[in-house]
Amino acid sequence: MAALAIATVYPLVFTANVAMKTRHEYVLDRFAPAEGLRWDAFAAAWTGADMGRYLANSLIVVAGAVALLLLVGSMAGFSLSRLRFRGSRALYLGCLAALFIPFQVIMVPLARTLGQVGLVDTYPGLILAYTAQFLPFTVFLMTGYYSRIPAEIIDAARIDGNSLYGVYARIMLPLGRPALLSVGILNALFCWNDVLIALLLMPSAEHRTLMVGVTALRGQYSADIPTFAGGVLIAAVPVLVLYLLFQRQIASGVTAGSTKG
Amino acid sequence: MPIGNPPPQVASEVLGPAGSTARAGVRAARGRRRGNQRFHRADRLAPYILVAPAVLIIAGLRLYPLALGVNFSFTGDGDRNGQAVGLDNYSALFDDPLFTAAMRNVGLLVLLLPVAVAIPGLLATLIYLRVPGHRVYRGVYFFPAVLSPVIIGAIFNLLLAFDGPANSLLGAVGLGPVDWLGDPDTAMYAVVGVHIWATFGMALVVFLAGFATLDPSLIDAARVDGASIPKVVRHVIVPGLSQTIQFVVVTTMIGMLTSMFGLLYVMTGGGPEGSTYLPEYYIWFQQGQMGRPALASAASTVLFGVMLVVGMLQLAVLRRSGRED
Repeated sequence: MAALAIATVYPLVFTANVAMKTRHEYVLDRFAPAEGLRWDAFAAAWTGADMGRYLANSLIVVAGAVALLLLVGSMAGFSLSRLRFRGSRALYLGCLAALFIPFQVIMVPLARTLGQVGLVDTYPGLILAYTAQFLPFTVFLMTGYYSRIPAEIIDAARIDGNSLYGVYARIMLPLGRPALLSVGILNALFCWNDVLIALLLMPSAEHRTLMVGVTALRGQYSADIPTFAGGVLIAAVPVLVLYLLFQRQIASGVTAGSTKG
Repeated sequence: MPIGNPPPQVASEVLGPAGSTARAGVRAARGRRRGNQRFHRADRLAPYILVAPAVLIIAGLRLYPLALGVNFSFTGDGDRNGQAVGLDNYSALFDDPLFTAAMRNVGLLVLLLPVAVAIPGLLATLIYLRVPGHRVYRGVYFFPAVLSPVIIGAIFNLLLAFDGPANSLLGAVGLGPVDWLGDPDTAMYAVVGVHIWATFGMALVVFLAGFATLDPSLIDAARVDGASIPKVVRHVIVPGLSQTIQFVVVTTMIGMLTSMFGLLYVMTGGGPEGSTYLPEYYIWFQQGQMGRPALASAASTVLFGVMLVVGMLQLAVLRRSGRED
């Protein structure tokens, strides 16, 4: 077990160690610990590869997509789980079916459609594409979560004079907080880690997201491995922070649907 | 579904004071039911309005493109743009050695699927049965699963480089250097190996969640009756986890078919000699690099066929576990 844990962590440690080395040290000995904590490689990658701009692009797009996903997903989840109406079952199953359409299958027509309405290479275009991509999953989880909130709570709120919109805003949103947090974190990770969708829909260099930026590092620093490693690690740090803070929520999100909770 | 806290508990916490007013409201409400009726009529559209944005986005940006793409795959590229060409794209597809290589690699993934499921399954069993401090292990194993394939791929570019540390280690025990990513015979295995390394923690967490639903007294009883660990695994744990195992099989397969693009893009670019193509990479290549969207659409349609089979399996699993009403 411990050996495997080392095998899991070592590649990251190795990369971090490389990033602390000078090029000279790296060529002489790849394994030896760096001579000290040196942040030059990180600084070089940050300025040299324009990573600040990519980071900002990623933050804009991820924040936009997650906000939209949570809003639209929780509204739909409330409606599909708690408000029986004609066709609600069919819509729920339609949503489930959309879960099984991978992006690769629809990427050609989607890129074309977004191109026709002028949304390729724009922030709203990518935000919309991410929302569409992860919405079925979000609706599925929110519907499952809301369907276990006791009906009496909703009835009571209605009797107290709330409209359904009021019930959504005053009851369902606050009660859904644990699920919204879990789904939000997971969606943030999905969007943050994506490269295919961003590559396809954000072609220009100035709109690159951080992950697309990382793919470009290899060519730029093929002779300067420490700087390359530094750039890669810069891109990994936000995920590490998110993981350390929200490991429990992430784990509960990925296991949703696997067992009869 | 183990998302966050179980709602009943949440409900009683959050609704402490509000709940009691609500209950008082119920009593008072009998008198004003009539007054509320107009209100309820105004709410009649609310379910539709609340669900509308999601329906519009999913229908417009997922279901409609799917139909459009299938339709598109029967039209031509370039000079024959927009003309109906029947099955030409499909025959071109299966004449293209790159695409047949991609489909062969799909076959390889199917063959490797049991390995990708067994590794986390066995680990989860070990952790569950005997390792103290499993939270720490779980935390460590799971981390690569949340990293982007791009980052994983970049790290393994360093590790698997011809003059990189993996070969130094092999050299230290007297084995010749392997050109992991440069040799058509090893490249696909190297990429799949990295994919499994990166994602086994995900399946492990799912397995552990499954174990949490097992009744420990069953296992204790079997042990008391003298069953060996392999017997316990076979007769108690596997049957008890059948649903979890199905879930892992299907999600692992979907992961292999649709989330290796980042690794391929960073680690091999489909090479060497086209040996690491997968359908998803082929689609991207024909659409983005070769300007042949109709051919790419045909490849998408084939991939969708494969996914449909996998998806049907998963739907069966999810429907059994998703909504309990």
